[in-house]
Amino acid sequence: MNDLSPTHLESATATTRTPVQTIRRSGAHLTRRSVLAKIGATLAGVLAAPAVRTAKAAVQKVFVSSGAPKGYDPTKHKWVMALDVNRCIGCGLCAEACKKENHVPEGHYFRTWIERYVITKPKPGSGASRGETLVDCPNGGMHGFGEPPVPKEDILHSFFVPKLCNLCEHSPCVQVCPVGATFDAPDGAVLIDPKYCIGCGFCVQACPYGCRFLNPVTKTAEKCTLCYHRITRGLKPACVEVCPTQTRVFGDLKNAGPEDPIQQFYQNNRVQALKPHLGTEPRVFYAGIDKEVR
Amino acid sequence: MRRFLNMPPQIFRLILLVVGIVVVYSTARYFLTPHSFRQYGWYRGEALAELATRDRVFAGKKACEECHSDEYQKLQKYEHKTLSCEGCHGPLQGHVDNPEDARLKPDKNNAMPCLRCHEANPSRPKWHKQIVVRTHYSGSSKCTECHVPHAPSEVP
Amino acid sequence: MINEVTNVVLEVMPRFEGYVYPNEAAPQPLWSVLIVLYPYITGLVAGAFIMASLVRVFKVKALDPVYRLSLLTAFAFLLCAPLPLLFHLGHPERCFEVMMTPHLTSPMAIFGFVYAWYLMAVLLLELWFDYRQDFVEWSQNESGFRGILYRAFTLGVTDESEKAVALDLKLGWIISIIGIPSAFLLHGYVGFIFGSVKANPWWGNPLMPIIFILSAMVSGIALCVLNYMVLTWVRRHRLDMRCLDAMCMFLFYALVIDAAVEGLDWIHRIYSAEETFQTLRQLATEKLFWTLNIGQALLGTATPLLLLGTLQLIRKRVPDLARKRMYFASASLILLGVLAMRWNVVIGGQLFSKSLRGFMSYKMEPWGMEGWLMSGILLALPFIILTVMVKLFLAERLQESGHVPQAEEIEEAVEV
Repeated sequence: MNDLSPTHLESATATTRTPVQTIRRSGAHLTRRSVLAKIGATLAGVLAAPAVRTAKAAVQKVFVSSGAPKGYDPTKHKWVMALDVNRCIGCGLCAEACKKENHVPEGHYFRTWIERYVITKPKPGSGASRGETLVDCPNGGMHGFGEPPVPKEDILHSFFVPKLCNLCEHSPCVQVCPVGATFDAPDGAVLIDPKYCIGCGFCVQACPYGCRFLNPVTKTAEKCTLCYHRITRGLKPACVEVCPTQTRVFGDLKNAGPEDPIQQFYQNNRVQALKPHLGTEPRVFYAGIDKEVR
Repeated sequence: MRRFLNMPPQIFRLILLVVGIVVVYSTARYFLTPHSFRQYGWYRGEALAELATRDRVFAGKKACEECHSDEYQKLQKYEHKTLSCEGCHGPLQGHVDNPEDARLKPDKNNAMPCLRCHEANPSRPKWHKQIVVRTHYSGSSKCTECHVPHAPSEVP
Repeated sequence: MINEVTNVVLEVMPRFEGYVYPNEAAPQPLWSVLIVLYPYITGLVAGAFIMASLVRVFKVKALDPVYRLSLLTAFAFLLCAPLPLLFHLGHPERCFEVMMTPHLTSPMAIFGFVYAWYLMAVLLLELWFDYRQDFVEWSQNESGFRGILYRAFTLGVTDESEKAVALDLKLGWIISIIGIPSAFLLHGYVGFIFGSVKANPWWGNPLMPIIFILSAMVSGIALCVLNYMVLTWVRRHRLDMRCLDAMCMFLFYALVIDAAVEGLDWIHRIYSAEETFQTLRQLATEKLFWTLNIGQALLGTATPLLLLGTLQLIRKRVPDLARKRMYFASASLILLGVLAMRWNVVIGGQLFSKSLRGFMSYKMEPWGMEGWLMSGILLALPFIILTVMVKLFLAERLQESGHVPQAEEIEEAVEV
């Protein structure tokens, strides 16, 4: 606009001081060009700082903080768990051990649990192949299971299914976290940063397997961490440790020989994943589950 | 430059405001983003180390072997070789750290009841040995009167 | 049953029926009434803004009297929108993380930016461009605190020449045009938060953002109708029936489209009857019977459709007073119906287990962060703020500059 009325220009300069005029008045001998150059440089520095930090940090891959397992490089492992449901006896030692190992709060909060499936016989003469399916999980299965909900004579087939985080390849929980508090660790675990989580609960809603919950004490999301503090030191997760029947098979896919239990599991079993139609690509495979298991 | 300042005052003020907001936001972002963010991905890299430094509650079977190798060897010979010591004797990292502390030692008489795993239940797989308590043996209620937990095949 | 020897206690959980995943058996659903309120409030914002843009962009002259009220309504509600979210977070003190390290794959992460954009670049700017001339005049005529306030709001731009005013109008028009997709984004992303959750069959479908946007428009227009009627009643003015008729015509047609799309969602679900359908049918007919069938469908959609539709056909034969009462009833029912819809989506999605084998329940407490009292306060607060704004910016004794928001003559007036 090149036809401004004088009154307009006057009012503009009267009520505002341009940055250059202010600086001149304070006594420093700065030209307009140098001031703008300084401002531009500061802005560029501030905006580029995150990129520089990323580049520097990328060099340090190994844990360096004190107390952490020295020399553990998360990029050199790929932990995975598999479940041989044919072997599960529903003792519940795994769920109990997990609660103790990870200090999970009292109440109905579980990082891992066991479900009992009871498939009843069909009504005689109905022509159906099976009766109804009854599922129960008393206290997460933590203290074992009592009598089944129907008498023994009515049961066609019954079994236990341990459940935990499915270690999805395309975790929907990680996808929906608004701040980057839950993430896929390079070594296969899906973890939560309790110091960064804002407790919005979106990840809990997004998990199709119900393995997440909001810890009522810390008010952050929580889930199975594969006992990260154990596996980074060469131990097994607590649930795998106490399982008496080798139902839970744990291994490191990047360092597993052909005789490793995990390789044997994949070799000897036809496996299934839970809710494959959702495209989450779970890495926890089940051997011996039924079509009724969701 | 003259043209720059000749723009209508509304637009000039608004541009100043926008620049101010961007500067405030960028500065805040610089100071409020944790320094290990984006080390491995869109999260605090330090979180991995923090999660890895939690205390253990269960020690693991190998830790028991160090001092109790006799029991360990015996256990490994029979059917219970797949069991872990702490499955029946409870979490024992405290005992491993302070072997002399009497309070942290497991109580042999207060181990996990055998029936936790061996009580008959139609949901349990058929290959697993199960008993119906009422019909098993009415003489006594203690399993260890006849059975040796570390060597189950040694039934008399 | 208790097993005497191993002492296994089977816990009886009254809060659910059937089988639910253990982590779902919580006493309250994770996203409770506060998360019902947030989409409701942002929906009202988006809808009120669309009402204002009908005036400015689509040049519906009949709606002139309600233009500023719509903008102020949108503003008052937008200010209150983040409150339910903030109160719901487990760690509200970390809320800034959403803007510092937004995880761009998450629809929730864009909240901070979309909200800031809508508040600053759309609503505040449009309000400023519309009010600037008045601020200049009022700052000269008013004394005391109000005078200072108006002077501050001019941002120092006190030019009242024709060219400056014409520029205000043109820029306001541009902002309005930008504002329409921004309003859709503001509420559409909320719908997408639910629509993107593939784990939940009640939420995760592509129609969800569209249904949210449409019901937002309906609720926003209904709110403007109510506000206009209440304000004129309080001030004992004559209602501009032409304005009211125009508003309710738009309300009716928006409701028709909204009902059609929601109906389509249902028809498709019933027809294709996928694996999840049995559970959802039970959810809709039993757990959500009152809020869905009665609240949302019958009272919130069918009745207003009937009332407003009748008026569209026989408007001329219905006397003013009866029309006003029907409009008031329809707008109120719609507002309640849309609130019921938000409830049905948010709470309904958490009343059934993802195992599709069981149902949970929700009993709202009167006290606490997520109780009746807090919900009442959060719903009343925008109205309180709106009252203050009306007193400051729509006061009867303040003379308005009288420029029409449409600014038809701007093309000839000035080039920027």
